[in-house]
Amino acid sequence: MVMRHLSAALAITTAMAMVPGLALAATPTPTEVLQDWYKMVLELTRHTATMSPPVASRAYGYIGVTAYEIVASGSDKLQTLAGQLDGLTALPARDAGQSYDTGIALDAGLSAVVNDLFSHTGPIGHHALESLEAQLVAELSDEVDGATVKRSQDYGRAVAAKILDWSRTDGGNVVENMGFPMQYTLKKGPQYWVPTNTVVQQQLPLLPEWGNNRPFAMPTGATCPTATPPAYSEDPTSEYYKQAKEVDDTWKTLTPDQRATARFWADDAMLSVTPPGHWLQIGLNIIDRDKLSTEKAVDIVMRLGTGMADAFIGCWNSKYIYNAVRPITFIRRTMDPKFETVVNTPPFPEFPSGHSTQSAAAATVLTAIFGDNFAFDDNTDEEDGLKPRSFPSFWAAANEAAISRLYGGIHYRAAIELGAAQGKCVAGYTVALKTWRQ
Amino acid sequence: MRLILKGLAVVTLSLVGATVAVAATPVTMGVVPSFAEETASAGVDSTFKGDWKYIVGGGVATFDCNGDGFPDMFLAGGENAAKFYLNQSKRGGALKFKETTSGLEEAQVVGAYPIDINSDGIMDLVVLKSGKSEVMQGKGDCKFEHASETWNFTSDDNKWWTAFSATWEHGNTWPTIAMGSYISITHSIDIDPWGSCSGSVLERPRADQTGFDTAIALKPSWCPLSMLFTDWNRSGTQSLRVSNDREYYRGGSEQLFHVDPGQAPKPYTVDEGWKPLKIWGMGIASADINGDGYPDYFLTSMADNKLQTLTSPPVDGVVKADFKDVAFPLGAIAQRPYTGGDMHPSTAWHAQFEDVNNDCIPDLFIAKGNVSDMLDFAMQDPDNLLLGQPDGKFVEVGDKAGVASMNVGRGAGLPDFNLDGLPDLVVVNRNHPAQVWRNTTANAGNWLDLKLEQEGSNRNAIGAWIEVKSGEVTMTREVTVGGGHASGQQTWVHFGLNSMTDADVTITWPDGTKSAPMHVNANAFYVLKPGKDAAAWSPA
Repeated sequence: MVMRHLSAALAITTAMAMVPGLALAATPTPTEVLQDWYKMVLELTRHTATMSPPVASRAYGYIGVTAYEIVASGSDKLQTLAGQLDGLTALPARDAGQSYDTGIALDAGLSAVVNDLFSHTGPIGHHALESLEAQLVAELSDEVDGATVKRSQDYGRAVAAKILDWSRTDGGNVVENMGFPMQYTLKKGPQYWVPTNTVVQQQLPLLPEWGNNRPFAMPTGATCPTATPPAYSEDPTSEYYKQAKEVDDTWKTLTPDQRATARFWADDAMLSVTPPGHWLQIGLNIIDRDKLSTEKAVDIVMRLGTGMADAFIGCWNSKYIYNAVRPITFIRRTMDPKFETVVNTPPFPEFPSGHSTQSAAAATVLTAIFGDNFAFDDNTDEEDGLKPRSFPSFWAAANEAAISRLYGGIHYRAAIELGAAQGKCVAGYTVALKTWRQ
Repeated sequence: MRLILKGLAVVTLSLVGATVAVAATPVTMGVVPSFAEETASAGVDSTFKGDWKYIVGGGVATFDCNGDGFPDMFLAGGENAAKFYLNQSKRGGALKFKETTSGLEEAQVVGAYPIDINSDGIMDLVVLKSGKSEVMQGKGDCKFEHASETWNFTSDDNKWWTAFSATWEHGNTWPTIAMGSYISITHSIDIDPWGSCSGSVLERPRADQTGFDTAIALKPSWCPLSMLFTDWNRSGTQSLRVSNDREYYRGGSEQLFHVDPGQAPKPYTVDEGWKPLKIWGMGIASADINGDGYPDYFLTSMADNKLQTLTSPPVDGVVKADFKDVAFPLGAIAQRPYTGGDMHPSTAWHAQFEDVNNDCIPDLFIAKGNVSDMLDFAMQDPDNLLLGQPDGKFVEVGDKAGVASMNVGRGAGLPDFNLDGLPDLVVVNRNHPAQVWRNTTANAGNWLDLKLEQEGSNRNAIGAWIEVKSGEVTMTREVTVGGGHASGQQTWVHFGLNSMTDADVTITWPDGTKSAPMHVNANAFYVLKPGKDAAAWSPA
């Protein structure tokens, strides 16, 4: 992946310090503005404590819609999503006969939504945000008349304000205590989730009400229920027990490649860009690699963001119906006290698998855009020491992400397979959104 | 501090990793300590202040630099000039300090650690800065001069120095210093500061043992906020424990380095038992809290702190570097404010074990405070005082003891400022004046304060182990320099003795030599030297 602007901006900053009056670099294109802001967003994701995967996916949804609407309003190829997305009404229009700079509008709009959605980031994050804003404004405004700059910025901010107003009413706007409820009654019974670590905050499960949030494209969080998973049983002949045994046996015979696969898709909250960020990065890489148009780029990031956000809502809706116990609890209790997971067990119920659900949603969205057998490289966590992987298709990646959770010891097969089916269902609504005017 | 209690047991207590019998007498447990804040009356007025380059740090060094036995104090100021305070307290009296020109009054100071680098019997200081750090040579009578150039101490001025520890490697008469560097502070990282952990270094002695050799990189370097040379496996050689801030590293984790003489520092591996742990590592405190004879470690972080003990006991004398977290079951997690009503998760910085009520059980102080407007974390975040209990658990008494400061805490120290046998407290706050408290506990137990002195090099016996045995109680403690959060303490080593009136002290000196038991009385100060009897000391 090449992120032109951030690295260029660093060089410029240094050079300008040495050579007074040095001209700024070439004005960034709208696509480059988009890439710069998404790079910042993915960084902020791992540096904002609130950004668990569901919360991050929500942010990606609203950021994607903001970018899309700003670009669509100045494009004769794209149409608005107002009236298509749940609860989104008409957005501010550009004034007829007035000139706008889409890059400046995009910068101003993204700045506004990112500052709002990531307002809980730390001081270094805020400092980085301010620095990026200053840098982009300077570069974008260099050769544009002041009136157009202001008009474009005002427009971008107006769209952002509209999107943020809309976001306030979805049920996910306020996330306290990093998403862990202050009060929650754990269900009694061996089949139900219990805490799996000793972190005080995580003695209650993450975001139990998230499945009731308003989705973006699908009607409600309950629109795509999963099939019923195998019934809890400690009978060794039962399907449930067999699936647990499969997890334990896999752990005992784990190959280096399986371990690497588990790590590659671990995408832990606050230690990575999270699972939805991982897929967003895949999309951004393709946008950059294939030099896609700005219209195409915003269509991709909008569909990825909203599709994965809906997948998490659907998944969380199901999670708190079943409230299923994690493998580490069941396996240690019934068959193998020494069982260990390869990746961290997330602090919420097991069924269905969130990564499987949202990866399937992402693969559905991207396959609808690019087609089957679209090969790509994934270097999302290269800086964290994880080697890039090549995939022949989006589904190959999604399937690997899904099975990685079994290798990691945190999900049974049913949660993976039924979760993926759920994600495919959810993304059907995202794919159905009409974006291109034809 | 290692604690073993046994004897006239009517109660059997399960400590983590060990079951020990606890004396029904003479131990009186659970005296809630009391502290009186005396910041203003003591004449202390120092504020650690600064922008984002000072969001971490804010340390304090406590040490005696004029030979009167009373700990003096050096407070980091960030953008403000640091301040030195001469301790003018009377024994057992109110705390009194006098701001004094020492040569240390510089800006950009993040923290400091006292250490007698050149073994001249006068404490020097390693001063951590947001920018070029310095070693300051003690010249006597609490005066200091720059010695970085003389001693070839190298410190990159583009780095943000946030961690320190030192050891005397076997065969050397000059210390080996580890310096931890945080993120880069150059302007070029403004937009993308993450993953910019600048390199930490290890400074070993040059051949003539009169200064440092060229610094070598301590790789990988993952934005440490605390370092501690510690003999975690009682091998006789200290390893380097490093606590890293996961906010800024890529692919990092907590670290433990082999630092073996003549060998390049080498991280412990998974095969050696070392499990990757990713936390917002900010401070390290060490004590033997479970009586297994090995040091345990409290690691501060955000929303979650760790108390690590060895997972498995030694097998044939071999210990795996495998630690388990017992903070939650032992009640030492200190995850969110316990008073004041703010229920957001806490942010923990300096941590230090000291027996503040002299009941023979180490207590744990933790300085707390929001990084800077981090809305997901408590803004009203009281400092903690976790009182060690006979059952191995900890109970919060910070509010009852009067130290539940809601200021934005960072570094701290718990020296006995007025030499009354009770550890006092100093806390450095960010953008708010530092605070000092006098320990006024009325019914505290007996105590013992020790100072180790060697001839030749390593005058303060860094790396020694102290064993205090009284009746059926045995306590052990490693002498270290480093850890905490940007705050070092080289003062009397304090032991609570409860109602016991005397004790036998055995020292395992850094060279491995073990002293004969030395008989000492409670409520007294002793200076211990190799090959000599314990020498009683009292303030002039």
